[in-house]
Order: sequence, then structure tokens, then C-alpha cells
Amino acid sequence: MASSGNEEQKQPPPETKQSLWLRRAVIASFWAVVAFLGLPVWYKTTAIYRADLPLQDMTAWANGQVCKPVFPLHIAVQAPLLAQDAHHLLHATQQTLDDLSDFPAHQLHLAFAEPPPPANASQQVTADGSGPADLDDTVALSVRLIPVETGVTPRSQLQPFSATLDVYYQLSQIPTQSSTSSPLTTFIAHELHQLYAQERVRLSSLYSDAASQSKSLSPELTAQLQRDATRAFKYAPTYHLTFSLFTPTSSPSAWDIETALRQYMNPILESFAGISNFTIDTQVQLYANFSPSIRQPEYDENTKAWTIFKEDVSGFINAAEWPLSPSIGQGPTINFALYVPDEVQSPLFVKGSRDNSWLVPQWGGVMILNAQSHETTLTKEALVPAMQVFSTQLSSLLGLPQTPASLPLRISTLTRIHATSLLFSASSTLGALAQVYQKMPTIPVPDTVAKSVNLSLAHLRQTCESLRDGRFQDALQNARTADGEAEKAFFERSMVGQVYFPDEHKVAVYLPLLGPVAVPLIMAALKEVKAGIAALKGR
Amino acid sequence: MALDTRHKAALFAAAAAVRLLLFQAFPFLPDRLAGRVELSTPVSSFKRLQEGLYLYTHNVSPYDGGVYHQAPLLLPLFSLLPDASYYPFATNLVFTAVDLLSAHALAQIADSGHAAATRLFKSSRQGLRWSTAAIVACFLFNPFTLATCMARSTTSLTNLFILTAMAKACCGASATFLLAISAASYLAMHPILLFPPLLVLLYDTRTEKLKAAPNALAFTAVYTLGLILVCGTLLVVSAILSGSWEFLEATYGVRLLLPDLTPNVGLWWYFFTEMFDSFRDFFLGVFWLHVASYTPGLTIRLRTQPLFVATTLTGIFAIFTPYPSVADAALYLSLVPLFRHLFPLMRYTFLASAAVLYASFLGPAFYHLWVYAGSGNANFFYAITLVWSLGLSIIVGDSLFAALRDELDVQRPELRDKEVKRI
Repeated sequence: MASSGNEEQKQPPPETKQSLWLRRAVIASFWAVVAFLGLPVWYKTTAIYRADLPLQDMTAWANGQVCKPVFPLHIAVQAPLLAQDAHHLLHATQQTLDDLSDFPAHQLHLAFAEPPPPANASQQVTADGSGPADLDDTVALSVRLIPVETGVTPRSQLQPFSATLDVYYQLSQIPTQSSTSSPLTTFIAHELHQLYAQERVRLSSLYSDAASQSKSLSPELTAQLQRDATRAFKYAPTYHLTFSLFTPTSSPSAWDIETALRQYMNPILESFAGISNFTIDTQVQLYANFSPSIRQPEYDENTKAWTIFKEDVSGFINAAEWPLSPSIGQGPTINFALYVPDEVQSPLFVKGSRDNSWLVPQWGGVMILNAQSHETTLTKEALVPAMQVFSTQLSSLLGLPQTPASLPLRISTLTRIHATSLLFSASSTLGALAQVYQKMPTIPVPDTVAKSVNLSLAHLRQTCESLRDGRFQDALQNARTADGEAEKAFFERSMVGQVYFPDEHKVAVYLPLLGPVAVPLIMAALKEVKAGIAALKGR
Repeated sequence: MALDTRHKAALFAAAAAVRLLLFQAFPFLPDRLAGRVELSTPVSSFKRLQEGLYLYTHNVSPYDGGVYHQAPLLLPLFSLLPDASYYPFATNLVFTAVDLLSAHALAQIADSGHAAATRLFKSSRQGLRWSTAAIVACFLFNPFTLATCMARSTTSLTNLFILTAMAKACCGASATFLLAISAASYLAMHPILLFPPLLVLLYDTRTEKLKAAPNALAFTAVYTLGLILVCGTLLVVSAILSGSWEFLEATYGVRLLLPDLTPNVGLWWYFFTEMFDSFRDFFLGVFWLHVASYTPGLTIRLRTQPLFVATTLTGIFAIFTPYPSVADAALYLSLVPLFRHLFPLMRYTFLASAAVLYASFLGPAFYHLWVYAGSGNANFFYAITLVWSLGLSIIVGDSLFAALRDELDVQRPELRDKEVKRI
């Protein structure tokens, strides 16, 4: 105070040994808390759990190095011929077919089948001797050779509701042992090649999408593919079908939809059962008005019919007021709207044609039903045209190819296409996940992701095997699971939390709180260490 | 200076009368106060205790529903009393008695004189002290204590056990000390951090009593074992009583992991509402370690004044624990008058008392603005809790400085009353 001001700067007396050690003990106690409790807590609570993923496998799948899908189609040939002749015929046809082939992954294997095929199919002698023993599952097409005496020969007929191609020939057209080709073999080969033309195109386009191989496709084919692709829904294991009846008046107020669906829609749904499942609901909406944005129907004197403008077709569905909810339950919803116009505006067509139905890409189908009699209940018979239109629309909405004429063949084509595209999509999802895993070392990866990835990979392998063996239905099932699991792994919610949290932000999290605490701790420790070193040197 | 019986009886009677009168005159007051976030935290609220009691008496696990976070042994205790919502008198009487018992313990601490003169340290100002009556009155008529009693917060019970543990350590009564500190730790978990300084205090008083120092290591080992034993017994009894160990998660788990972010006067709730989820666990660890790290440092540094260390730690609990309330501050502020001899050395008494007063008046007002009037937001209340914590930290820091200065005066009497500079 007053006296100390006058005195010279006095050095403080040296610290006692006791107080020196006391201070060191205090500093050490704080550091002990930091080191023995703080660091383990820090390590334990900020560690990011990353399950091991089979990255190499995933990348290999994404690059298409593991599996090149092949499509060996086994075609059973039934012919009332001697084994030797038949063998020769098959051999010659196979050779012609192989020469025609422009897409090596898509192979047609001919095999000779005894005339009553299912009974003893297991004792088949196959053309190349490598076909699977059990042909029942894997036969893609049966070719029946039927000898005839009259008519243009050779000619063929495809059974519309079974995978059977009937070929009519004359006995003279059987190739002789010496000749390598005959009109019959060439005909069969070309027929078969033609039959699978569209499938080849679509599969090879999937290939080129996946591996970016440029394939020369004719422009109109590409355009058609594109049109089909934009129309069709993305593949889903389950679709929901909604059938709605709209009428601007109070009648018809009921429709016999259940029996109509059972009779006319169930068969096609059953044939699709191997590809997707379907759930159905129906509804009736009375006093359903057009949306105000479209023009009211006009009466056309020439055709004696009411017409709506072609441009208004897209706005025909009054999305704001008609209860067509976008998605009910799981899977996408396919809507089918049946519009029964007012009696005074009937019949109603699209202007410039007598079209009364159209397809809305990736949404569903619409049909205007110009009923003959205006009763309050639409009978099953009255619904027949609607059901026919809707089933055609459903086929193209599900991506069913237009050709060939046989439904089982088209469905099996669709099976192969979906299996392949799911295989590619699952592979690329896994590849993307592998990239995310490698590029973002800060995101946590829970065990469920690893589990899904492994499951997906296992199913992918099975898909590939099934495709190689020609078991396309199995392949689709496996590819479906593989794709589902891959998506589940990729979109795991707990992984995204940290994505937008770069490492630099951690400084901002740690510093404001820990900085002020750490500075005195570190300074005190440094001072003590310095003093300790000085004392050691001074000794 | 010991409190004579007549004075004591008069003081306690007056305190009891004030409490019972308040309970009777303002029957709405207990419920009103029990709803205040400043007094009732999720781990001490009387309303939540009543909820737990209801479930308990209806044979449902009291921890179902996640409302009740208090010790299971409180339930059989309070279920003996008539329902507080219809016959509050018995409950009021219990809480009044708890306060009186706490005051009794505080009187014992004051009478022991350990605040200013311990075995190894005699303050140069030890003559400067308030009478026991004044200290007890400071506790009994402190508005914070009164409010806590009216709100019937179970922190009162924790405070009782902490004060009893201190008193018993001052008297050298080892068994009751162990029971009291275990009960306090069992009820509120963090009082276990008071064990080291109070053990040192007990060691000193035992040494004085026996006139010979017991073996320090053996002494520590025996009492630590004793603490583990008593706490373990309490936990096992709780488990048997509630039928499972789920109470651990619901009571201590809640204190450790802070799932309930109801506002309180502490610093944690706001911080953890803003925290990134991925860092939540880490900062919970940091905050708890921060609270815990004071115990060893202070105990080592102020080895000679263990009662002061324990007092300072109660102050730190009132600031840095996850669910502090005014009741914790009331405990600390009632213990501070024991150290009257340090007051002349404290430099910021005005600032600290102003901050605490400012916060106690503006806190409820800002909470009202935020929650009821809607014209403020959470920052209003948080700012005022910061001021409150600042006021308490000033008292804690200033008294620590004063204690060290006092120690220096003893070591180097020639520096007394002179300005010192930290080097």
C-alpha cells in the first residue's frame, strides 16, 4: 500500500516446497480428469460407427464385371420325326439361328421334345447336350411341327394364349442328311428370330444403358422404345388399381364392377401374378364436373355427337375435385376412370375421331362410356367395352411389349426385361452406396446397411445364376429382393444426418466451450513443465 | 456462542409458525409455487412426486409414463401421508419439519466452529463471526428456503441430508455421517462429490477427538467401503421395492442424459436444446466432467479447510448441475454466512448480491413474458438464468479468493491488509 510504493521493487520470497507441490497436485488432478475421464468420453461419444461393406464386390457389380446377364431361351421342338431326322433338322436350324443372332447374350437353344411333352420331359435329348434336365420350368416356347398336305408351306401360327408356335410343313421340306439348309430350317430360324426381335431390342437397350455401349438402333425403334418407356410405370412389386366411375348427374349411381372385374380383369391380373401383385379398389363419384379450365363439349352436326377438344383431353380429369388420391397403400396407384356423360351430351367423343378412351402416361387410363340405355345401374355387360379398354391400357402401363401376339410370350419377355433392369438398378445402387461410403468418411454406417448390402449381393448372385439357367421367374424374384434391399441400404435414414456436417464445423462446435476451459489448463501445465525443466537444468 | 435452548426453541417456533401460517393463509400458494420452473425441476417437483405416488398406490410402476424421476424410496414414505391434494396439512408439516431439521444441522455446523478454525488451519480473523442464531435465522427466514418449503420440492430433503452429513462430519459422528451422505447421494446423485472434502473434515475431527491421527489410507478405504455399502443397500432396497432396476434409468439416467429439457435456472437446458444430436453425448460428458473436476482440485488445494470446500461445491452444484433450482442456491447461500470471517476479504459483494437480486426479480417476470404473455422468447429467460449463474459464480469465485487470501495472511502475517497481486 502506501509504504510499498516507496520501496524498491521487492522480489517475492521463493515459494515453499509444500505450496509448489500443492499447486502441481491441483494441476495434475485437473489433467487427470481430462486424460482419464475426458478423453475416453470424447472417444466413445464421437466415434462414428461404420459397418464394413464389401466395397470391391459392390463396385464390381456396378461396373458389370461380375455378371453379364445372358438369356438362354430353351425352345422345345415337337416333331413327328425319327430321332435322326429331327436331330439333323434341329442342328441345321440352330446353325441358321446362330448365324442370324446379333445380340450374343440372347441365345435360343433348340431341343427336341417327344410329342406328348410333359409326361416324360425329363428324358429329353437336347440338341447340344447341355440343356437342363428338367425342361418344364424353363421351356420358353414350344414349336410344334405339323405335317400338312395342303396350303402354303411352310407357314406358322402362334397360339395367342399359350407359348406354342405351330409350324405347318410338307414332308418334302425336311432337310436331307446331306444338305445344310432347307426352306423349312431357314423358315423356322427366321420365325424364331422375328418372334424375339422386340425383346432383343429392349434387352440390348438396357445393356447399352448400363454399359453405355452404343448400339445402332433404327430411329423409329428407338422412338417407340422411348414412348413405351415413358408410358409405363416404374417397376414395383405391388401396384394398386383404382377403378372410378364418374358421372356429371345422379345416374348411373351403381355399377356391377365386382363381377366385371372378376370376369374380365382377373385373367390378365393372374397372368401378371408372377411379375407383380395387385390390390384393387373401386369408387363411384356422382355430380363430377369438368374442371373450369377446359371447354365444355360441343355438338358436332356432322357426326351427330358431342365432342371435346383434343387439347382438353389432358385436363379432362378434374384432379382438384375428383377424389383420385395419388397413392393408397404400398406401391404406385394406377387409376382407371370411367366417365359416363350426361344423357343430353351423349354420345361424347374426342373431336376429330370417334375415340372415346385414352391413356395417361404413368397415371392410368380414361374411358368415356356412351351408354345405350340410361339406367341407374351399369350392368356387367355394359362394362365389357370398358374392361377391354382398361386391360389393354393396363398392359401398356405395365410395359408389356406389343409383339408377339402370344400373351405368355410377352409376359415372359416382360419378366426377363424387369429382372434385367432390376439387376442393373440394384447393381448401380450398390455402386453408388460404395462411392458414398468411400467419399464420405464422416457418415455413420449402421449394421443394418451392411446386412442389406450382403443380402442384396447374395440375391444378385442368385439372379445371375437363375438367368444363366433360364429360370427367369426365379431371377425376377431374386432381382426384386436385391433391388429392394439395395434401396433400403442406400436410403438408410441415420446415414444422412452427418452428410452436411463437414469436419471444419467441428471446430465451431468444440472451440467456444472447450477453448476457454482448455487455455488455462494448458497454460498452467506448460508453466509447470517449463519450471520443472529449468529446475532440472539449474541443478 | 452456542445457541441456548430457549433461543433456539423460539427461533424454530417462529420459523414453523411462519411456514404453517403461509400454508394456511394462502392455500393456493403451494401449488402455484410447485408449478414454477425456478423451484420445481423434473427431478424434484412435488407434482411429479404426486403422479408417482398415484401410480405407486395403484400398483403401476411409478416410472411408467416417464413423468416421475425421483428416488423410489420417497414413495412408501409419502404414501404414508394422507393425499396432499385433499389433506395437505400433513405434507406441509413434514416439509416444515425437514426445514427445522436442516436448521438444526446448520446450528450444529455453526456451533462446531469448523468454518474458521480446523485442525490444520486457524484463520487470523476467526473471532469475526455471526452468532449461531443469526446463521440459523439466515437459513430459516431466507425467502429462497421459504419458497422451496412452500413448493414442497424434494430438494429440501436432499439439502437436509447434505447439511446433516456436514454437521455429523463436524461432530465426528462417523456412522450418521455415512448414512446422511449416502442418503443425499441416493436422492440426488451429485452430492456424492461432497464425499472427499467431508471425509477430510471427518478425518480432522476424528483426529482431534482421538488425539492421534488414524492411518489416512485405511481411514479412506473403510469409509469408502462404508459409503458403497450404504448406497448399495439403499439401491437394492429400492429395487426390491419397485420390483425392478428400471428406476436407475428413470432417476440417475435422467440426471445423466438430460432427456427432459424443461427450462430451469441452470445452464444445461438451453445449451442442449441447441446442440447437434451427434455431439449431444459428448457434451453431456463434458458438462458432467466439468462439475466433477472441481472436487479433486479444490479438495487438494484447500485441504486445510474442508468445510469451505464442501460449501463451495454446493455453490458449484447450484450453478453447473443439469437440474438446479433455487433450492440448491438456498443451501449454498445459507452456508456462506458461516464464513463471516472471509467477508472483509471479498471484493464483489455488491455486484454479486445485486446480480442475484436482479435475477430473482426479473427471472419470474421474463419467464412470464416468454411462456404466458408470448411477448418474449426463450432467450429472455435464458439470459436471466445466465445472470443468476453469474451472480452465484461471483460469490463462489470471490469467496474462494478470500479463502486463499486468508490462508496467505496466516502463512505470512506481515502481508495482512496489504494489496496482493497474483503472480
